[in-house]
Amino acid sequence: MVTSDDSRLDRAVGRVLNVGVTASSACLAIGLGLSMLGGTAGAARLLLNVGLVVLMATPVGRVIISVSEYAFERDWVFVSLTTIVLLELVGSLLAAFR
Amino acid sequence: MPLVTSTLAAIVFGAGVVAGGLGALLGIGGGVFLVPFLNLALNFPFTAAAAISLTTVIATSSAVSAGRTGKHLINLRLGMLLEVATVAGSLLGGVTAQFLAQSTLQRLFGIVAAVVAVVMVSRIGRRNVILDQAADPGVLGGRFYDEDSGGVVAYRVKRLPVALFASFLAGDVSSLLGIGGGVIKVPALNAWCGVPLRAAAATSAFMIGVTATGGAVIYYGHGQLIPSLAAAAVLGVQVGSWSGLRIGDKAPVRWLKLLMAAVLVVVSVLMFMHSRG
Repeated sequence: MVTSDDSRLDRAVGRVLNVGVTASSACLAIGLGLSMLGGTAGAARLLLNVGLVVLMATPVGRVIISVSEYAFERDWVFVSLTTIVLLELVGSLLAAFR
Repeated sequence: MPLVTSTLAAIVFGAGVVAGGLGALLGIGGGVFLVPFLNLALNFPFTAAAAISLTTVIATSSAVSAGRTGKHLINLRLGMLLEVATVAGSLLGGVTAQFLAQSTLQRLFGIVAAVVAVVMVSRIGRRNVILDQAADPGVLGGRFYDEDSGGVVAYRVKRLPVALFASFLAGDVSSLLGIGGGVIKVPALNAWCGVPLRAAAATSAFMIGVTATGGAVIYYGHGQLIPSLAAAAVLGVQVGSWSGLRIGDKAPVRWLKLLMAAVLVVVSVLMFMHSRG
């Protein structure tokens, strides 16, 4: 029985998650700091919303990376499965901003 | 909607630290603690509490999973297969949540918390490990190094339809109640599908980021997510889950299950009391 090695995918997923969490946390921390200090309300709101969007985009990015990694491994079953997950997330986006 | 002050943001940050710490320790998102706190103690509307909690679930999932990659504890293939079901559930739940009364959501939260507590306690002694290290885990199974047993643990995934159904339900409940859904998936995967608790928890924690995103996006689009408080909660949870993760890998499984069950019973009772108004 050959269990295919997912360590490449594992590393790619880890990188996406790390970058996403770090970037969104930085935006949220600065945005929250600015909004608590008062003053630049526009900048604070922008940073808070960018932070939240990056936060929500991180798992989506992880799914996109998975689709491409499984395509690289020519594992079409998992390409299909991860593509369905991606389409469902697009469905959520459509339900949110109808 | 609550008026945002520095004090409120600080309280929400603190709640995030506690919820994140417990969440990481138990292998769940922490939302199961944060939602009752925001809804019952701070009197936020249930949907606002759920929306904030879902953003922290995403952050916890991403942070915890990023730290775990490379240890083979997360079963990537099983996770990605089950995500097809959880995200479908979270899409449905996010849409449904817009039509349900707060008392209905509170009772649902109470039921979910109680059921999971019972399942956890009744399965306390099960370990679900194949002791033969050469055993074939199959396409969806896995193997990982377990500190409790001091060896490599291998397992096979049994009853896949049950895992898929539990994942769909978990996704639905995740969006409705603002929790990760780990409280449903982890016991189901552990009790019925042959996945050891640690692997089930790691795989679930990995999946809930995508699951919670499916729901959070809908609350965000409907203007139910308060950005500054979500930021406070997310940052608090980052601090908390970082700390919890330092202890988590060393905590014994039995203790984890008992603590999780006890907390859920308390949460359940509180939710029912409040749903009566």
